[in-house]
Amino acid sequence: MDYIKDKAPPVREDRLRACNAYGGSCNNLVEQSQKGCLNGIKRTFSQTQGCQLNLSLAILNTIRDAVVIVHGPLGCGGANLSVAGINKNFQQLRDSNARGLLWVNTNMGESEVINGGENNLRDAILHAEKEFRPSAIIIVNSCVPAIIGDDIDSVVEGVQGEIKAKIVPVHCEGFKTKIMASAYDAVYHGILRNLIPELDADAVSKQDNKNQLEELQEKYRMSRTVNVLNVSSMSRVDEYELVRLLKALDLNLNILPCYAHPEDFLKATEAALNVSICATHDDYFVEHLKTKYNIPFILRTIPVGVKYTNRWIEDIAKFFGLEEEAQRFIAQETKLLEEALEPYRALFKGKRVVIGGGEIRVVANAELLTYLGFQVVGMRAYHYDQFADEMLEEVAESDKVPFNVATGQPFEQANLLANLKPDLYVGHVNNNGWAGKQGIPVLPIFHQSNIFLGYTGVFEFARRLARVLRNSSFNRNLGENTKLPYFENWYEKDAFSYIDEGNV
Amino acid sequence: MSKFIERPRYLCTLGGAIATLKVLPRVVPIIHAAAGCGGNIANALHGASGYLGSGYCAGLALPSSNIYEKDIVFGGEERLTEQITTTLEVIDGDLYFVVTGCMVDIIGDDAVAVAKRFHQDGKPVLAAETGGFKGNSYKGYDIVLSKLFADFVEKNPVKEKNVVNLFGIVPIQDVFWKGNLNTLKALLEKIGYEVNSFFGEGETLENLKYAGAASFNILVSDVYGVEPAKIFEETHGVPYVIATLPIGSAGTERFLRTVGEALGTEKTLVEQVIAEEKARYYSYIERLADVYNDLDFQRYSVVVADVNYAPALARFLADDLGWLPELVVITDVLTEEEQQLVEARFEDFTSGIRPKVVFDTNTSNVSKHFNASWPRNNNDRYFDSFSPAFVLGSSLDRDFASSIGAPHLSVSYPVSNRVVLDRAYVGYRGALSLVEDIFGLLVESR
Repeated sequence: MDYIKDKAPPVREDRLRACNAYGGSCNNLVEQSQKGCLNGIKRTFSQTQGCQLNLSLAILNTIRDAVVIVHGPLGCGGANLSVAGINKNFQQLRDSNARGLLWVNTNMGESEVINGGENNLRDAILHAEKEFRPSAIIIVNSCVPAIIGDDIDSVVEGVQGEIKAKIVPVHCEGFKTKIMASAYDAVYHGILRNLIPELDADAVSKQDNKNQLEELQEKYRMSRTVNVLNVSSMSRVDEYELVRLLKALDLNLNILPCYAHPEDFLKATEAALNVSICATHDDYFVEHLKTKYNIPFILRTIPVGVKYTNRWIEDIAKFFGLEEEAQRFIAQETKLLEEALEPYRALFKGKRVVIGGGEIRVVANAELLTYLGFQVVGMRAYHYDQFADEMLEEVAESDKVPFNVATGQPFEQANLLANLKPDLYVGHVNNNGWAGKQGIPVLPIFHQSNIFLGYTGVFEFARRLARVLRNSSFNRNLGENTKLPYFENWYEKDAFSYIDEGNV
Repeated sequence: MSKFIERPRYLCTLGGAIATLKVLPRVVPIIHAAAGCGGNIANALHGASGYLGSGYCAGLALPSSNIYEKDIVFGGEERLTEQITTTLEVIDGDLYFVVTGCMVDIIGDDAVAVAKRFHQDGKPVLAAETGGFKGNSYKGYDIVLSKLFADFVEKNPVKEKNVVNLFGIVPIQDVFWKGNLNTLKALLEKIGYEVNSFFGEGETLENLKYAGAASFNILVSDVYGVEPAKIFEETHGVPYVIATLPIGSAGTERFLRTVGEALGTEKTLVEQVIAEEKARYYSYIERLADVYNDLDFQRYSVVVADVNYAPALARFLADDLGWLPELVVITDVLTEEEQQLVEARFEDFTSGIRPKVVFDTNTSNVSKHFNASWPRNNNDRYFDSFSPAFVLGSSLDRDFASSIGAPHLSVSYPVSNRVVLDRAYVGYRGALSLVEDIFGLLVESR
């Protein structure tokens, strides 16, 4: 894969034939996905969702010692107002001196729509440099400058010589794609083009400064180092757990890209292996590092639940020839965990659960909940692409469990939950209130304050599940005293009535 | 002049429009825009506004045409028509209001015409162009209210003398909007008026629909709602009076007298209500006599807020609490005329205090204005420091407050570090809550 010469990456509809509208059984979904028939499905009724700019910010806002410039009208990036406070705390878990989220909006108004917004952008860059002296200035480009033809790359080129901060333009205009996850490619594209050194330059600088012994030591260190690619919706404790798992194999970790310092990316090429925890998050990045720097990668699974955590460790161990060590570690970990989980199993047995979130996570989570004794009766994923096929094929009774691909679309969820009547809903943070209003106990996952990954994550998840199930009065009261905005007859219709496959 | 804004404290026109519609009872906003507009706005209207929640049909439930590249090329009116049709099938509302984003305004989709076709078929559908580039949240509030006043409020030549409408509090941008409206309504009821505030507790769309029968519009802002008030006057022949947001005894007294004078309320009634409320207010404030005077609770202070809150808070601090609000930073985008109007609101404090007022939209400039107005210590043996101090601002101003060693209370948008339900800060009663919250921080460590 090599799109790096282009200013912007392709969108996922084109690159991966990804889809964000589907309702049906899991096995049919995999079949359709493998045939490539999911592309182009749409909704005739739709509710709002995030765009790739929103999701790009979720990642880019975490970068330490950077200023983010949102090039667009005032509302773009407005959601930063709700995360600015907590962002600083999370950054400070990585560096106690971190300043937190700083951003500038270029405030494109009517006159910029007519005359162009490049001057606003240039001024904003110069202001960010003068005011904050950051290591990086990250520009996210929105719809309006894209449609009126602002050439942000030329602005960057023109001004880079005047300032010390490394400028990172990110092309993440919302209207270009329905697949919010295109953001991952947009962000990595910007990082690959601007924060990761060119191979040649890198090699030269090393030759200059190191003697032979140092070079060998460096080589050895690199041969035992993996880049672990994190996501913005995992916690610092999740990272500690991954460090713990790989330290058991005596490996060193670089954790990228979230909450990293811009200079941390200079080291991204000094690793023996790239390890993802979520294929759909990282494939663009690792494929490019493979093409350009010849660094192999593992993209297969996510360390959620025992089965996939084992698989994640085994895959990495195999690469380094450490299978035996890994098996010993896994045996010891799973034994301890099984013992710890024993008291919970009776409580979980047979409870019916619906899961929502990212495609890879939802499927892994289904495996975990089944392992704990729950019965998974429905799954919802933000989007779908080939990366979940292998795991989804492993889901038990995949012909019976409904799978809903929807970025948000709480109306479909409301219908599903009203009809499936689950005992529990387990959902990715930020859209869980609706299930609560239906009176269903909710356990939010992928919050930046909780641990969910690895073996420790399994136990903490079980502990939290037991807690939520112990007293669900708050949501029961909500269910009795609130109403969702849908007509009663909506619940009698098929949940997927507004998914239109006509254009496939 | 540079136009960018560092950490702006408002959204775009569309954001303000959705905020306004979101809290109107049983009104369903339909967004005609790119997919992310609504999602981004939903997060800001929840997490930056005291955890307001998704509401009845907002948050990620907002119906949205989610147009993308193909629609931009070929036009999105067809998709909008489909979305309105299906929204009417799925979502249970009394009024459906189409608001547009930048992209469809730029390509020239005529959402208003599309909505009109539904309206002609007897469906309660309205539309307004609210592309984000037209301005900030306050502009969105003005556009939506103007549209509702012109096209939704029923014409009624017969006016009821004791009915008034109250607006100018911008919901969500004023995080305490609902409590504030409730409090002001109760106050106006005491001087004999029935009040439509459209967004207040227990109100329905009927309050808006029959607002044309009011004899007066009371506008609590020098800037926000002025345009809709003019349209109301043109369309329904109802005049308006501006009586700016009152906080505390000094401010509320003026508010009631201004309103009473404009509406021709019986003077003795107004004075009687002022006396009663003031007596109640001081029956509580009196409790602080000891702690204020034993622990020396006078404070230097800095206020960072919008045009509604800034003068109201500064007057309250100066005239009610006897504090020293030395610096006021107003963070809105304003014309020169608007700035002059607002500036005049700081000139007649009964305490004689006159804060330095600056207009600046950039968050990190608050520090600069502070440094320019209060000298730093240059190793002087004796130095008149800005201490003890207190900062009233938004959650973005915490860093500034801690840089000058001052406690901080989030009052102006964004408020991400507090949960706000029915709390009010206006009037006599709201001011008591504000006193509880401010002085609560002063005794926090005890």
